[in-house]
Amino acid sequence: MTKPDGNLTIHVVDGEAISTSHDETILETLEKANIDMLFHCREGFCGACRSRLIKGEVEYTTDPLAFIDDDEILPCCCKAASDIEIEINQ
Amino acid sequence: MKYTTFNQKSTNPLVEPMFFGNPVNVARYDQQKHAIFEKLIEKQISFFWRPEEVDVSKDRVDFQKLTESEKHIFISNLKYQTLLDSVQGRSPNIAFLPLISLPELETWVETWSFFETIHSRSYTHILRNLFSDPSEIFEDIVMNEEIKRRAADISKYYDDLIFATQLWQTLGEGTHTVNGERHLITMRELKKKMYLCMNSVNALEAIRFYVSFACTFAFAERKLMEGNSKIIRLIARDENLHLSSTQTILNLWAKGKDDPEMAEIAEECKEEASHIFLNAVEQEKQWAEYLFANGSMIGLNKDILCQYIEYIANHRMSAIGLGQPFEIKSNPLPWMNNYLNSDHVQVAPQESEISSYLVGQIDSSVSEEDFADFEL
Repeated sequence: MTKPDGNLTIHVVDGEAISTSHDETILETLEKANIDMLFHCREGFCGACRSRLIKGEVEYTTDPLAFIDDDEILPCCCKAASDIEIEINQ
Repeated sequence: MKYTTFNQKSTNPLVEPMFFGNPVNVARYDQQKHAIFEKLIEKQISFFWRPEEVDVSKDRVDFQKLTESEKHIFISNLKYQTLLDSVQGRSPNIAFLPLISLPELETWVETWSFFETIHSRSYTHILRNLFSDPSEIFEDIVMNEEIKRRAADISKYYDDLIFATQLWQTLGEGTHTVNGERHLITMRELKKKMYLCMNSVNALEAIRFYVSFACTFAFAERKLMEGNSKIIRLIARDENLHLSSTQTILNLWAKGKDDPEMAEIAEECKEEASHIFLNAVEQEKQWAEYLFANGSMIGLNKDILCQYIEYIANHRMSAIGLGQPFEIKSNPLPWMNNYLNSDHVQVAPQESEISSYLVGQIDSSVSEEDFADFEL
């Protein structure tokens, strides 16, 4: 599903589809697109940014310490590994 | 069941539940039933800091410039945080340790509580700098009705669990009469008390601290009391981790990933757990009212603070499967995120998490190729 420029797409439920690059976390991509969401630690230990992954795969840059359910991700410490669809907790 | 500090029976901690199984004997961390607690310990230790490292001397000048209503907000919050950490510096140890069956969880609770004592010591550091004799402030914590009301609610669930545990340890299961009062002690009742206590601690870590944090950071937004703000940022980072641990415990129970009876209790006591949380929300709103009784401060008032409590409560409650009871959808204090971000926490380099200081970062196997670009 990788686009020619190597970028992947993040579809946000009830929002827009945005392009993400390999060197940024999902939270960073959302921030660049001016999409507000709650975050605290940005290191995967507080769980404030917990979001639902509906479709696709992510790759963690830091081992998440906060409790996340099987269908949840922490956007502060993972990158998209394919095109993804997520539902964020504003 | 009598508590023993070293259980002579050979046990397998990999199959024990978190609480109410066999008492822990060997403090070993090479294997873990729930590896998350070992990771939390490592993370928490990597956060180690000392209050004295933060220079708060400039705050004294700032404090003199605050209006009377701002002084009231500042000092009241410090008193309340002192109360919260006085409770948290001892209670997890006294209430949970006698009932824990996993070495990694036991050490996590001890580590967690120890860090709360660092927080307590930092309040003394802050107050000693502002007042030549801070006694009056400390003494008011047990006199002030607003604070006492909160103290009663916070310690209630701990005290209840501790007392039931003492009866169970000395008299076993059954109905026991103490000072004319009858107490039913069964394993189910003990587990219920544990569940409710954990919810109350979770609510404490999840929202009770945040009214104070918001006020502190609102001062910092105006470049006031910045030494204090640096310390509170370090405290907030630790509290985030503690919150994460109570959320993990509650979720492990609710999702049946630990003690199956606890999953039943979580379902059975869901409404009571919600009530504990909503009660804390209500109390914090009352606290906001008390803080702003003499006047607001620039950038923050009672209404915004109450909205923030609801906003945070929605997030914290949904994290433990209690839904989002409040209407509010967007963050009324977006700048709070920046103060709670651990990247922005400034500490001495030897204490911070820069990778060059992390133990085990030095590679002991060096091959000849590693020196290929070296010229003498």
